[in-house]
Amino acid sequence: MLLPWANVNIGQPVNKQIQRLPNTFLRTLQCLVAFIDKWTLRSGHAVAWLLVLMVAMQSLIVILRYGFEIGSIALQESVTYLHAACFMLGIAYTVTINGHVRVDIFYRQFSLQKKAAVNLFGAVVFLLPLCVFIFITSFEYVFQAWQFKEHSSDTGGLPIVYLLKTLIPLLATGLLLQSISEIGKSILTLVGYPQIAQAEH
Amino acid sequence: MIEFIPLFMFMAVCLVLMLGYPVAFSLAGTALIFAFVGAANHVFDAALFGALPSRMFGIMTNVTLIAVPLFVFMGVMLEKSRLAEDLLNNMAALFGKRRGGLGYAVVIVGMLLAASTGIVGATVVTMGLMSLPTMLKHKYNPALATGTICATGTLGQIIPPSIALVLLGDILSTAYQQAQISQGIFSPKTISVGDLFVGALVPGLVLVSLYLLYIFIYSWLKPNVAPAHQSDDEISAFQIIANLLPPLALIFLVLGSILAGAATPTEAAAVGALGATFIALLKRQLNFTRLQQVIRETLKITSMIFMILLGATLFSLVFRGYGGDELVQSLFVDMPGGKMGALLVVMLVIFLLGFILDFIEITFVVVPIVGPILLAMGFDPIWLGIMIAVNLQTSFLTPPFGFALFYLRGVAPAEISTSTIYRGVAPFILIQLLLLLLMTRWPTIVTWLPEQIYN
Repeated sequence: MLLPWANVNIGQPVNKQIQRLPNTFLRTLQCLVAFIDKWTLRSGHAVAWLLVLMVAMQSLIVILRYGFEIGSIALQESVTYLHAACFMLGIAYTVTINGHVRVDIFYRQFSLQKKAAVNLFGAVVFLLPLCVFIFITSFEYVFQAWQFKEHSSDTGGLPIVYLLKTLIPLLATGLLLQSISEIGKSILTLVGYPQIAQAEH
Repeated sequence: MIEFIPLFMFMAVCLVLMLGYPVAFSLAGTALIFAFVGAANHVFDAALFGALPSRMFGIMTNVTLIAVPLFVFMGVMLEKSRLAEDLLNNMAALFGKRRGGLGYAVVIVGMLLAASTGIVGATVVTMGLMSLPTMLKHKYNPALATGTICATGTLGQIIPPSIALVLLGDILSTAYQQAQISQGIFSPKTISVGDLFVGALVPGLVLVSLYLLYIFIYSWLKPNVAPAHQSDDEISAFQIIANLLPPLALIFLVLGSILAGAATPTEAAAVGALGATFIALLKRQLNFTRLQQVIRETLKITSMIFMILLGATLFSLVFRGYGGDELVQSLFVDMPGGKMGALLVVMLVIFLLGFILDFIEITFVVVPIVGPILLAMGFDPIWLGIMIAVNLQTSFLTPPFGFALFYLRGVAPAEISTSTIYRGVAPFILIQLLLLLLMTRWPTIVTWLPEQIYN
């Protein structure tokens, strides 16, 4: 219900052949957008399956604990890892399908062009700097974890804390890629090709 | 001037949010801009940035918050299993022959749905799509119908197990620790998400009873607003039990295990998620495509929530870096009316913020700032949490900006005017305020059950 592109006129069939973009810049942009969106969507769809694993493992923990009085730190930590991986890798996916909450009191009434302008502004001023910032500040932090191949501080915990920490720059990278695609889509919409901007969805 | 920068930052973010760019990124982006401008002018300590990765890691490894995706999974699974439709049809057949019967059915199903899904937007939309046409067909007053649906749709905030209370419980427990340490108590007492669930139970049930009472009295005074109708299809008691039993058993299992003190909310949520999957299987609603829809929707909602948490973390980091904590504290010290005055102001601010922000944003941005201060004044943490929850729920119902109203407007037929919806929710807003007053006058409404259970 919060899809920004939802009120694109779907009534008229869009013929991609006719909608050939006039110059190389826009055509490159179109390819880039399509490529990034495809990647983010596919990775998101793959990551979603981790949730099934997560439900299964947490249920197994409950059964082991209350049925057999067995507790496993490694198992519990695995659930934490799955949980962290889901949302850290799912955030870029959620941008692609426009799942991040907006204050849409005014936004909902905006024209497609105005929406694209807001998204362009937001991506350039907020999102892009944020991704770069997270990547840079986390670099040292993650680098150290890799250097010492950081283990869990609990005995019996998983020996791969450095992999967990790597999710932070991964989030930044995925989100950065997706923000480039969002910028591309906004530009395509602003120069008059809203159908192409949402063609892959 | 510099000491007021946190306030400017807060106002700036509120303005920026009006544009409609996603809240999480607006929060983080605005904070970044303030931090960089400040660092360039030597009024902000850039070394604070170093804390960000470890804060993010703290969120990733926060054990309490693992309950969030599990509860979301459970809610989405139940939603997609068409549980609500079957329940509503049953209840309507059961109560429909009475005056106001459909209204009762909507409130009760809404309550069960709230207990099992706990996502406001989803509940309002589901209930609006399912029950509004039926109520209108049976000549219910449109104002009463829309008001009932909006109000019951927001119950997801308060009826445990609610995702909102998981988030609030996590933030409040940190705030409670801070408050006690600031008072020199170094072996602080703790509160948990489970405590908040227990505390919300009685107020939630009181609220539902008040809704039912209102429909009863209104339909008794004016029989034509909620007429009885002849049910087309008779249903057997067996059918009702068969449909009612699985969700009731699930809620009982999830809540019961937490209330009994045996399970953590995460464990209960896992049981809930697994149970919801079994219910969907039993109802023959689960196949590969359906499962795929469920996990994608769950991933979307979970990522959305956690991105807001990450954005809000950066925002608070910068807010604190500019001395925002001290600023807010000094404002409260000068407040007339002492403890109650401070509470009233906070409640009012949260109510107004509820017009533009969702429960999640307010929990992550506002509660960490004002929570420790209020708790240090001696308010009970569980009571404060429930007050905030009910307050926000009221805010979501209040025209012209209430979230629930927008959601319902989106699915209501065009011949129902927006002012009809506004008139419909007005009595329910009064009920909400009544509950807030009752809880202020008699805090035991909230604190009694936790005391009984945890002694």
